[in-house]
This record gives sequence, C-alpha cells and structure tokens, in this order.
Amino acid sequence: MNMTGGSGAFSVGGRSGKDSPGGTKDGGTIGGGAIHARTADARVDDYLEQLRKALAGLSGETVSDILEELRGHVLEKSALNGEGGEVTPAAVENVLAALGAPEELAAQYMADDLLERASRGWSPLLLLRGLLRWASLSAAGVFVFIGCLVGYFVGGSFMLCAILKPLHPHSAGLWRLADEGNSYSFSLRMGFGSIPADGRELLGWWIVPIGLLIGGGMCFLTTQIALWCVRQYRRSHAPGRG
Amino acid sequence: MQLRKGCLELAILASLWGGKLYGLEILRRLESGSDMVISEGTVYPLLSRLKSLALVESEWVESDGGHPRKYYRLTTAGKLRAIEMARVWSEFSSSLSKLLEPLAKAKPAKEK
Repeated sequence: MNMTGGSGAFSVGGRSGKDSPGGTKDGGTIGGGAIHARTADARVDDYLEQLRKALAGLSGETVSDILEELRGHVLEKSALNGEGGEVTPAAVENVLAALGAPEELAAQYMADDLLERASRGWSPLLLLRGLLRWASLSAAGVFVFIGCLVGYFVGGSFMLCAILKPLHPHSAGLWRLADEGNSYSFSLRMGFGSIPADGRELLGWWIVPIGLLIGGGMCFLTTQIALWCVRQYRRSHAPGRG
Repeated sequence: MQLRKGCLELAILASLWGGKLYGLEILRRLESGSDMVISEGTVYPLLSRLKSLALVESEWVESDGGHPRKYYRLTTAGKLRAIEMARVWSEFSSSLSKLLEPLAKAKPAKEK
C-alpha cells in the first residue's frame, strides 16, 4: 500500500494501537522480551517527544513526517543491531546516540526551513525568526538581522505615531526641537510626555497619512530588502553551488 | 564545512541514482560505497532539505516489519542537479589531483 509523503496519515506519539495488548510485536517473544520492547518503545517515544517540541514552528504535517521516519529508522536499526532481531533498550540507546541530541537534530532540520518559509511568506515575525537563525550561522546574517530590526523599528514608530495622533492631538507628531546654539533635532513623539517647551510641531494632522505612508513604506522596503538578501544567501548555498 | 555538506548532498543524490531507497538503505549505501563516516543525524535533515528543494520526492510504503518506510527518489531536477554536481566535482578533483602530483611522488626530505 502506498501513501504519499506528507499525508499526515501517521499518528505520532500515540502508537498504542499498533501493539497488541500482550506486548508481542513483530512476532517477538513474550515475557522478558515484551518488557524489553516496552521500555525501548517508551524511550523512543520520549526521544521523539523531545524532538517534536524542538521542531515547534514547522508545520504539523512536516513534523509528523519527520518523526514517523525517524521512529522507523530507530526501530529497524535497533532490531538489526539487537540480539536475535529483538529491539533491546541498549540497542535503542545506541541508535538514538548516533542520531544526536534532539535539540541538535532539530536545529539541523530547522536551519534551512525557517529561512525557506520566511523567504516565501510575508510575516515579519517569521522573517525575523529566520534571520535570527541565519545570524547564528554567519556574520552576514547578523548584519541583515540588525538592519531589518532597525527598519521595522523606525517604520513601526512612524505608524504608531500616526495612530496615536488622534488620542494625543496636542503632543503626538513630528516635532522640531531646539538644541543648544543654532542646532535643532527632529523628534517623533507619541504624545505620552509633556509638550516640549521650545519645540514646534511640524506636520499637524498630516502626520496621520504621512506617518502611515512612510511607516508602511519602510516596513515594506525592509521586508523586501531582507527577502532579497535571504534569496541571495539561499542561492549561493544551494547544493552544487558556492 | 560547506564543502563537506555539498559533498554529502551529492553523495545522497548519487545513492538514489539507481532507484528509490529509504533512509536506512541510503545510509548503508553511503557507508558501503565509500569510507565516509556519515552521521545519521546529518543525513535525515539533508534528505528533508533536498526534498524541500524538490530535488527528491518521497512516498510512504508499508513494510513487513510493521513500520512504514519513507522512500526517496530523484526528481528530474534532482537528476539534472546530480549530473551537474558530478561534472563539477570531477573537474575539481582532477585539477586538485594534478596539483597534488608532486606531493605524491615526493619523499620526505631528509634532515641534514
């Protein structure tokens, strides 16, 4: 019987249905063998549960696919290594050790996938998570991550200011503040503090459309530039290149 | 590290050249066909990556052992990529061999 990958046809974690109540399995033995099989099974379940937690963020379908594949791997390889084709706890431990710690294994699964999904989607949060992962791998990633953070911060500030203007009509907006001497600075105020003494508000109610436009534009541009960087990075790291 | 990962990807694609295999068979083939020591914790995530790049596709097949196996096979894009990578690799390895020739013939210099 064939099943296409990703159909999510296999339950994960709750395998009890596959085992007969007596604990016999794969034509296995009764008595000591059954106890072996049960503790070994529990150990595999435990490992896969940790892996499932560490894979949080991937789609449920992908996760159950990965877990079911690894369960098959662990049980089959343990049976090959164990005494007389039996899945012993010791054999399971060896196979799990070869796979590595669940967190490290998950990190290998996630590293590419996060960037991959981020580069297809529009979610700034997903993008930032992907960039953070990238930043943990390379200096270029750190650079893009920080740039992206700054872009969203400035863009978000403009939009927040525009939204808060109706709530704090007298103090929110873009202000020109006099500094010492002839110099002056601009300040984007949310209107929570007092009205600056020697300042002048520049845009008045225009901050609403202009703030939304500039803020939205900055967020859009930031996303586009970050996605472009991610695509360049992915292209240079695709197999067979770079 | 990047080189090693690229090699491993090529090795996996090459192992699938003869037809569909599941994870354990791929591992076995990589180990028997070469002296490479390959961690299973590396191969499974790489298979997942190759799948997301549409270089391989997978299907679940029930087995006698009671556990379904996830079989992988090369897609057309995967075959093309494997051929391309094999060509690049051969060129790279032959030019490196040329560069290494003097070293292979050389005898360790005796201290005077």
